[in-house]
Amino acid sequence: MNSASPGIERIFSWSSIDSKSRVVILVSILLICWIPHSSGQETITGWNEAESWTDYDLNAAVIHGEIIWVFGDSGTVRLSEDSGATWQNHTNLGDSDLISADSYENSMAVMSSEGIIYMKDGFGSEWITIDSSQTGMKSIALTGGQSLVIVGNEGAIWQYTGQTWWNRTTSFTENLRDVDFNGDEDGLAVGDAGTILATDDGGATWDYREAPDPDCSIASISYFNPYRMFAVSDSGQILYSTSPGGFEWQLREIESAGYNTTLATNLSSIDVISSSRILFTGPDGYLALSLDQGLNVEINILPAGVNTSFNDHAMFDYVSGIVVGDSGVILFTDRAGENQDIGFQIPDYNNFGEFVEYADDMLLSGFIATIKIVLFGILLGFTIGVILAMLKTTPTSFKNILERYSTNQIRALGAVCLIIGLWLLYTGVNRFPELQLEGLEYIFTPVGDPQGFAMFALGLGIAAISIQFILADKKLSGPIFKVRPLNSLATVYTDFFRNTPLIVQFMFIHFGLRLGMRIQQLMEGTFGDPGIDGIDYFFYGDRTFLSAIFTLGLNSGAYQCETIRGAISAIPSGQMEAGRSIGLTYLGTMRLVIMPQAIRICIPPIGNEMVNLVLNSSLAMVIGYSELSRQGKLMIATTFQIFSAWGLVMISYFVVTWTLALLLRRLEEKTKIPGLGISGGA
Amino acid sequence: MADVVLSIRDLHKIYPGGVHAVKGVSFDVHEGESVAVIGSSGSGKSTVLRCINRLIEPTEGVIELRGEQINTPVADVNEVRSRIGMVFQSFELFSHLKVLDNITLGLRHVRGMSKSKAEEVALDVLERVDMLDRIEAYPGNLSGGQKQRVAIARALAMKPEVILFDEPTSALDPELIGSVLKTIRGLADEGMTMVIVTHEINFARDVADRIVYLDNGQVAEDGPSSIINEPKTERLQKFLSSMHEDKIPEDIENKLVSAQADHGYVPDGTGNRPRS
Repeated sequence: MNSASPGIERIFSWSSIDSKSRVVILVSILLICWIPHSSGQETITGWNEAESWTDYDLNAAVIHGEIIWVFGDSGTVRLSEDSGATWQNHTNLGDSDLISADSYENSMAVMSSEGIIYMKDGFGSEWITIDSSQTGMKSIALTGGQSLVIVGNEGAIWQYTGQTWWNRTTSFTENLRDVDFNGDEDGLAVGDAGTILATDDGGATWDYREAPDPDCSIASISYFNPYRMFAVSDSGQILYSTSPGGFEWQLREIESAGYNTTLATNLSSIDVISSSRILFTGPDGYLALSLDQGLNVEINILPAGVNTSFNDHAMFDYVSGIVVGDSGVILFTDRAGENQDIGFQIPDYNNFGEFVEYADDMLLSGFIATIKIVLFGILLGFTIGVILAMLKTTPTSFKNILERYSTNQIRALGAVCLIIGLWLLYTGVNRFPELQLEGLEYIFTPVGDPQGFAMFALGLGIAAISIQFILADKKLSGPIFKVRPLNSLATVYTDFFRNTPLIVQFMFIHFGLRLGMRIQQLMEGTFGDPGIDGIDYFFYGDRTFLSAIFTLGLNSGAYQCETIRGAISAIPSGQMEAGRSIGLTYLGTMRLVIMPQAIRICIPPIGNEMVNLVLNSSLAMVIGYSELSRQGKLMIATTFQIFSAWGLVMISYFVVTWTLALLLRRLEEKTKIPGLGISGGA
Repeated sequence: MADVVLSIRDLHKIYPGGVHAVKGVSFDVHEGESVAVIGSSGSGKSTVLRCINRLIEPTEGVIELRGEQINTPVADVNEVRSRIGMVFQSFELFSHLKVLDNITLGLRHVRGMSKSKAEEVALDVLERVDMLDRIEAYPGNLSGGQKQRVAIARALAMKPEVILFDEPTSALDPELIGSVLKTIRGLADEGMTMVIVTHEINFARDVADRIVYLDNGQVAEDGPSSIINEPKTERLQKFLSSMHEDKIPEDIENKLVSAQADHGYVPDGTGNRPRS
């Protein structure tokens, strides 16, 4: 029982491969994995470090005219007149930490942690000191030349206007952390526990706005324009509102973070620098840029050695500006901090190496796509081929089907069929005049009115058959009783697919019948949306894939049918008699006796047919399926390397077909039966 | 007289080409009886045999198996065939299956036995035909005589009510006939009901309880095996004398003698060369 028995299941198993072949296979896989993918490309920071001449933490930056001002701990003030490249000392403003600054037209103000505000009204004017007498204030916003709003702990809001301080604290007493105004009327203040307060009268009265996450601690807000309001929270969320007045707030689902609502880092400041660009800063050297309103956030690479916490930005426009942080760090940029790729050059596709580097990804995806349709096509084609071959060889004639019924029953059946047939014929023919054809043009009726033509053809057939049923004699000797209906059906099928070109079948099935779309819709109805990847997408995400495997399978089935039929007729009729004589049914004998022998006989021609199917799969490019040939065409569209592109495609096809041929040769050897057939060799 | 197992009444077969091969053949086969059907080529012997298990549909006539007509469209042809064993002239073993699987195929898929039960039965019948030593061989590696014995075992395994032999020895080399004939004789001794179409007149005389002589599609003579020695009709006399002219037994004798001289041993029909 343990002797090696040939069986399909043993052929592809690892244990059936001898040790030498195993080594070859393993080494090939290792080689393929080991081929290095080199790229001369490198990414460097978009920021430059500037010398600030201080080690104090810098907390605020503001642009006033052409000058950038930076304020830090212990009253530190620095200014730059050349967009942040070089910095000058400025007299300290007091000796307490300067924590927040703002500018409005030609005025500028900075606030210390003691609540003292230093203000300039007009370029080059002297500092004016205003004491708010408040401690625990966090942020300042100017609303006019001599008017401002400051916010701070426990919901404190103070407005300074007309040389007087007004307490505008509301009933919301969570700590407020930032305030920002757009113009001199509309402002927003944010703070802990999802607090968002809005004003539309320059800070005199404040209304509560509901935050999308009531627990988030909002660190910073940027009121860019009435339709673009962004805020960030300590837990890395990006909040935005597009409704004027900031009535509705939402959390951004960040695409680059896998559609999460958090960047998974603490954020301390946000600066909207154009209608789509946003800069983010955070502790521990976190600087990031989004080019699409926070949908995708890319972390900036920092200059070597910089790993400080950043506190504020100041931007001249949407590209140039500075960012300041702890320990006196000032970085400046003229590209909004965006990482820059260096070493990138336009590839020279005349260089074969560079061409291959570009082409191999496309080639691989085409390779996989081709193998996909080929595998399914072969399976489908072989199944259809076997079924058709069995239909064509079945001996079931009308006589076999009907001989158990009495002549009168057959005549009655004939009468009923005649009526049905004539009705179908009449209805079908009556539809034809609507097509307005003339003479020979009637050959096109199957296309013009498929349903009408089907009725006509079916009616004609049924009527012709039923007349002979009516005239049946006792022995059922009429010519119709020798007809094998299953054989006729299979013949119609094979005749159709073998007498029309495959490329036309592709286009007819995909664009005409829209088979792929129909199957996809059917599958969607049953299994739900295919999504964009995963097993569902693999099977029915791509309509062209479905159309391609069905066209290839249906076409190949018609050809394989004839091959398998030939093999079946090569089996001695005695085998069928022997199977039947021990009591097996016709189908049982086919399955257990005839087919196992016939399939062995037809492995070589079926292999031929399968190789043909691989090569025919290149025609799937006409329906837009991205298999090898189409990828080749696309490669040429980019690189113009016609010889090389088609050459690579050819080699890929050869690899597929040759592997297939090897497998089939192995299959043939493994399934060989001693003493059956002449095969050269014992 | 024992029960009638098989009864053939007025059997006619007209082939599609118009050849009237069987013209009203009737005979009965009783329980435990072995009937030899003899006749010259084209006399309709094989046609009659194939009509019995409906490999050929008779044009007219009635075939009854234990009193039940089997050649009607409503009879379950597969069930009928599983009760009638058939051994073919050209063996018709399933060449993709090993000897053992050849025999278990019908048991498992027609009788619905489990694999182990079927193998038990198969080993039992293979022992009866003395083929136990080749159960793992493929038919292609067997000699003709071995193949035919496996084919007999395949028919036996189904426990048929009657076995039909369609010229079981005519495709065999003369040296190999012996073992097959021995096997069939053994079955006859065990009381198996058999219908044997054969050219081996001597064998028919030895084994068969009854001889049916067909000539030109009709039963020309039907009687006990003694009719070989004392033919009543002129046609059987003529047939027998033409058979004797071939002098096959002497030929075999000569071949055996010459084989002994050439090889130093006498082939035993199993295809195995004795080891020295």
